[in-house]
Amino acid sequence: MKKLTVILYSVFLLLFTIFSYIFVDPNLSYFKNIYSGFAFSNRSLTTIFYTLFILIFFIFYGIFVYFGVKKKISLKEISVLFGITVVVLLLSYPAMLSYDIFNYIATSKVLFFYHENPYIVMPIEFMGDPLLAFTHAANKIALYGPVWITLTGIPYFLGFGNFIINLFALKFLAGVFYLTTIFIVWKISKNIISLILVAFNPLIVIETLISGHNDIVMIFLALLSFFLLAKKKIFLATLFFASAIFIKYTTALLLPVFLFIVWKTITRKEIHFEKIFYYSSLLMYIAFLLSPIREEIYPWYAIWFLSFVFLVPNKKILLHTSIAFSFSLLFRYTPYMLTGTYAGLTPFAKEIISFTPPALVLIYYGLKKRV
Amino acid sequence: MKKFFRFAAFFLIFFFITMSRVYAESNYVLPYPSSMPGGMSYNFHLLYESVSKYWYFGNFGQFNYNLKLADKYLVEAKTLFEYKQYLLGYKALKKSDQYFINILPNLARARRNGKNMLHKRVIFKESTRKHIETLEKMEVDTPDTFNWQPEKASPTILDIKGAIEYSINVRKKDL
Repeated sequence: MKKLTVILYSVFLLLFTIFSYIFVDPNLSYFKNIYSGFAFSNRSLTTIFYTLFILIFFIFYGIFVYFGVKKKISLKEISVLFGITVVVLLLSYPAMLSYDIFNYIATSKVLFFYHENPYIVMPIEFMGDPLLAFTHAANKIALYGPVWITLTGIPYFLGFGNFIINLFALKFLAGVFYLTTIFIVWKISKNIISLILVAFNPLIVIETLISGHNDIVMIFLALLSFFLLAKKKIFLATLFFASAIFIKYTTALLLPVFLFIVWKTITRKEIHFEKIFYYSSLLMYIAFLLSPIREEIYPWYAIWFLSFVFLVPNKKILLHTSIAFSFSLLFRYTPYMLTGTYAGLTPFAKEIISFTPPALVLIYYGLKKRV
Repeated sequence: MKKFFRFAAFFLIFFFITMSRVYAESNYVLPYPSSMPGGMSYNFHLLYESVSKYWYFGNFGQFNYNLKLADKYLVEAKTLFEYKQYLLGYKALKKSDQYFINILPNLARARRNGKNMLHKRVIFKESTRKHIETLEKMEVDTPDTFNWQPEKASPTILDIKGAIEYSINVRKKDL
């Protein structure tokens, strides 16, 4: 791999990190010195820049995958690129695309600062708390499992009451789980293509290292439990699988697969992990497609199926549809970015943007099969 | 013209009567009656209540817990009195009082812990008004005393009126 690629990629990540700060919320008093309001007053320009950044990100992704296929990239080089990605993007502004990280902090504050049960008491009940000015889901009780809320205690206590340290410590926590996920993907697959597909997928990278979403934690624990099952460590595997469920309840959909592996392990029958990951990805696809029942499809939900799909890269239709999804879902943000409203045509535009590229991939394969 | 004045007078009287009624009633909504003593699920409800005491930790949590149960048992007492189950109703009313007494200390603790409890205070006042309103209606509809005759024990006279008045006073004290 050429040094120039590494340099260009590093510069790109640095520019993307700087770009993220144009989204600083006007009510976020802790960042008032760097607040520009640019993203809110120059919506068209912001959307164009964002589109360009995502396109470039996918070009780099394509280049890295190409290097992987052509065996032009070593594990050491991947580690370097990976390290650069983590270090640079952890410095980015986390609420560029989603305000979830503020919800995580607000929920952990309810438990660790106010000593109240976040499943009963909402952050909004603490009138006068400075977090309420910029936390968007303050009127909701905790949405995530108790394992996640417990984990958010780590950044909370590391912050010693300082919001900014707490915020970046939470991003750091997501970064740690991103690293461990990549490690477990490598341990499971021993396949450099799978490693690159997961490690540099723009959606996984952005939603984890920028927005700090907890989906990566859930996926890490689920993958770890499968890995432990492969090593016939049923008790530990069960423990981690239960932990994954108590991060986000979506993991419960993987329970049939988990039980199937346990049964196979106990009866000492051969386990085809390729099939296991294939069916896991399908189950996670179901969870993803059913998410509008609860609220709506959020881009970071794609992490659920992407991680499993990339473990079976030979399933071409699934792989290409998933990559198309990861591409289109990052553009799901653009209608709001452009218009500044969730009403009007925005919901419709979001659906069209999200589903057109994967639909085109499926149509392509459908036509190809006919020919 | 006379007809107009009559209509206007009627309208004004009607307006003031209904207006005063609106001001007298609290906007607070009491829950539906849940399972009643003797029912299959009642013991499970009791168990759930004892366990959920620990789930509702924290000052606001305990505020919610005690208010929820004070409401629940008040509704239970009202329903049981309506069905002339005076002993059970009497017991439910005593339970409601006990939970009600536990509400305010939690708000005091919340204030001491630096939590802004103004909103909770408003909820508390609204609920107290509603409780008093319900108890006053209950007082009219129930007999003053009831002679409870158990199967293998000496009879007891239940001072229902006294119990309701006590409940009203407990609530008025904190209003």
